Amino acid sequence: MRLRVRSVQNQGIPTATMADIAFLLIVFFMVTINFEVDKTQVFLPKTQIRLEIPKKAAYISITESGQIRVSGGEEISVPVHPEDVLSFAADVVARDPQKDFVLKADKSVPYRYVDGVIDALKQAKAQRIYLLSEQTTVDSGAGED
Amino acid sequence: MKFKRGTVNDEIPTASMADIAFLLIVYFMVTTTFAATRGIDFSLPQEEDSPLIDKEESVLIEIQPGGALLVDNKPLLLENLLDYLKPKLERNPVKPVIIRANEMTEYGYMVSVFDELRQAPDKIGIEVKNVSIPTQREINMFWY
Repeated sequence: MRLRVRSVQNQGIPTATMADIAFLLIVFFMVTINFEVDKTQVFLPKTQIRLEIPKKAAYISITESGQIRVSGGEEISVPVHPEDVLSFAADVVARDPQKDFVLKADKSVPYRYVDGVIDALKQAKAQRIYLLSEQTTVDSGAGED
Repeated sequence: MKFKRGTVNDEIPTASMADIAFLLIVYFMVTTTFAATRGIDFSLPQEEDSPLIDKEESVLIEIQPGGALLVDNKPLLLENLLDYLKPKLERNPVKPVIIRANEMTEYGYMVSVFDELRQAPDKIGIEVKNVSIPTQREINMFWY
């Protein structure tokens, strides 16, 4: 008895669409990527109200120990002395009076550091500050982790 | 004399395209940071629209170190703040509310008070329109 010849099956894994999938992922990352201008590690306060911060906003970060870093929004942040925040803010506002500022301060920092920064922004005639925050969870309290 | 013609492959080589694409994906995955890019906005008063606020006509929220609140010199819990403000805002919708944090108060407590005020439309149905956060320099200059 003669057996029928088995049909030849393609043993390769079809990879033709892999490039398509990969490029779709690339497009996703390109659209969503947000290059951080300030990578200061802080524990942000938690809030219910959270508005989207405009892109290219100027950043002022304050660590728990009161160290301040600033960025005009396009370059990586640099450390500055508290007394230099006013000149930084005035320079940013002079270039773009509508520029938004983001205050990225540690929730444990004593308020006097924040007060100094807000005062500098007021003197520089900044129009709007965004207080960077994290989403409040149901159980989290004001000053808790 | 005979010449052999070499066969030319007329397809575009795409075998390495997936490799390149995945390399790009790895790059984006490494450099992408899902950073917190949200927060509470606070409009700073401009000179032309910032009349001096009469302390007697406003609600003064003082935040002590540790987060305790003194509202119009009386202790009050944060949860009760909007209930306290509601009748005052019903009488005067533009009643000024001043937030004044002690210099040693943790910043997080100031933000939570401000956040509570911003939630007023959802919680008591009235917006707190006139929130002021005077700085120490302004207090020294204008407080009386």
